[in-house]
Amino acid sequence: MNGEDPQERPEQIRNIINGLERYNPQAAEILEGYLQQQCEEKFCDCNANRALLKLYQLNPDRIKDEVVTNILVKAMTQFPSAQFSLALHLLSPSHSNPGPNSSSDLTEAVSKLRDLNLQLESAQYARFWATMDSDDIYADLTTDIAGFEEMIRVRIAQLVSQAYREVEVSVLESWLGLDSEDEVKKFAIETCGWRIGDNGMIQIPRNPENEAKKTEIKEDVTIDMFSRVIKRAWEESA
Amino acid sequence: MSAFQNGMAPVRAMEDDSDVEEEALVADYREQVQYEGGMDDVDQALLAQQTDDIQAKLAQAAQPLDFQATLETKFQSYDNYCGLFHFILNSESGPVDLEPPSYYWAWDVIDEFIYQFNTFSSYRARIARQGNNEEEAQILRENPNTWGCYSVLNVLYSLIQKSQITEQLAAMRRNEDPMLVAGPYGSKNLYRMLGYFSIIGLLRVHCLLGDFSLALKTLDDIELNKKAMFARVMAAHFTTYYYVGFSYMMMRRYADAIRMFSHILVYVSRTKNFQKNTQYDSISKKNDQMLALIAICVAFQPTRLDDTIHTALREKYGDQLLKLQRGGPESLPVYEELFKLACPKFISPVPPDFDRPEANVDPIDHHLSIFMEEVKTNMWSPTVKSYLRLYTTMDLMTLAGFLDVKPEELRSWLLVNKQRTKQLRWTDNGLLEGDWVNISDLDYAMQGDLIHISEAKMGRKLVDWYLRNLSRTYA
Repeated sequence: MNGEDPQERPEQIRNIINGLERYNPQAAEILEGYLQQQCEEKFCDCNANRALLKLYQLNPDRIKDEVVTNILVKAMTQFPSAQFSLALHLLSPSHSNPGPNSSSDLTEAVSKLRDLNLQLESAQYARFWATMDSDDIYADLTTDIAGFEEMIRVRIAQLVSQAYREVEVSVLESWLGLDSEDEVKKFAIETCGWRIGDNGMIQIPRNPENEAKKTEIKEDVTIDMFSRVIKRAWEESA
Repeated sequence: MSAFQNGMAPVRAMEDDSDVEEEALVADYREQVQYEGGMDDVDQALLAQQTDDIQAKLAQAAQPLDFQATLETKFQSYDNYCGLFHFILNSESGPVDLEPPSYYWAWDVIDEFIYQFNTFSSYRARIARQGNNEEEAQILRENPNTWGCYSVLNVLYSLIQKSQITEQLAAMRRNEDPMLVAGPYGSKNLYRMLGYFSIIGLLRVHCLLGDFSLALKTLDDIELNKKAMFARVMAAHFTTYYYVGFSYMMMRRYADAIRMFSHILVYVSRTKNFQKNTQYDSISKKNDQMLALIAICVAFQPTRLDDTIHTALREKYGDQLLKLQRGGPESLPVYEELFKLACPKFISPVPPDFDRPEANVDPIDHHLSIFMEEVKTNMWSPTVKSYLRLYTTMDLMTLAGFLDVKPEELRSWLLVNKQRTKQLRWTDNGLLEGDWVNISDLDYAMQGDLIHISEAKMGRKLVDWYLRNLSRTYA
């Protein structure tokens, strides 16, 4: 559900991440190939990617900058979740915290991606698209990930559907980073299966998440819960 | 070894653990403590008699290194461990025929081994950061593999493999005799205990390196309940729950983290009256750390705590907890303070850059900064929630006016708060497993700018309270 494990994982990859092979520096190449496949085929195996970051952590001479950033971008598409953070924790402290006079390309890229991720995590979607447009570096960083913008858009729509029953077209337009109301409507109807209501708002079908039903949590009391007390009382009187 | 055999009892979820078992464990622990008390003299007499070199080495491996040990002593200690483990693992005539000096010896050895690795790595990083001790920096630069991460991992994994402990634990879960799969090494106490505690050691090392999900995965074969073997050794019991709880917290699984910390804190509060003083000092420090972590988790996810913990928390961190619960920018320094005070002493697995002191960032700051991003993302949730609780419907513009923020900003806060109410929570099987559940009693949905709010009514929970008090009266 959150990109931790895909439904199926190639046996070779399974053997690496579940065994001692995960410490073999040579496994990095295989995991890099697998990441490439994830980028092209639009699926995500954050668990396997962390195994690769772990190898980099132990063998810093093997680090490939673009692999690290691709892993981060992949993890970012799983927002909101801990995936991006979990990947960051495995980076070397010097890569994720730019020092005063030690700034490499990787450090800068990581810090840019952290900003982007933060905007997605804190649901500032309009700001996210503005940031994406503000600098060519973002396009460079996400270029290897097929369908990146579309994935983000679908994810945002999904999250909106969990919180909204009706949403204004203009609000959705800014969140989805689309250029016109027509495009928004097209996306809402064709991709999401929503419809436009008579009041001009976008109607989102009811689901368990956007119902906000009243519930009452009661305690279920069964005789079993008292079995020990009863047993004890019985034993003591006997 | 009775605990080990106890572990063969049917699989049982932790929450099913009865008070009877806990009572038994507490009593058992009290016995051990008192027993040890009387053993000291005998022990020493015994040691003095032992002319056997290897027995002395075994005992020494479990001894803490002096706090102010020199670099040379640390190197020496590393060599000693390598020698000892080499002897145990690669003896040509099959398994070494030795009995561990005590039932907690294996824990002490692994614990001390990792502790020294941890302090050595931190020390090395500090020398590099400060850059004013050229002499030691030079020694460290020339010996990058001493206390190296690969060799420490290697020792732990080798002990696990040699003892077939994973297979043994799996057999026990199937209610089969572990001896059938233990092999020539694993059937010996020495190997089995070292293997078992190496698993807990791995949990700790992975956590120190910032790999929290791998840390939890390591415990796949160990069931966390009061019958587990580690529960017999107080320090092991305590350490396991601290690292598991911390890893859960870093994975944003606050409900599970709270469950872990609560379990162990309640247990400690029940046993503290008969802890020996020296042992209690170290436990008391970790105890406070876990209270701080519970404060953080409860701020993320308001939860009703056990009365004992709640009281202790208010006594120890009352002011801080209030600030955390209020949220907003004022809470940020408090989060930082508590995190720094309570987190493990994170390390970096590779030698630092001695030539550029300024390029070395303290791993604690690294992990803290990532954690703080999540804190900042969530810092407005308490404010939002406190207002929503007062209404059943609310206009977004009105609320934005109350809070003095732009509507756009408020929409983000509402979305964030709503998204975080869904959390993975453990129910069964491995620690990483779980179900997605809604953990908040407050729910809402938006219809344009109209917020519909519903609050779950909590019926009073009386059964647990009643049972506890009843058993107290009986006892």
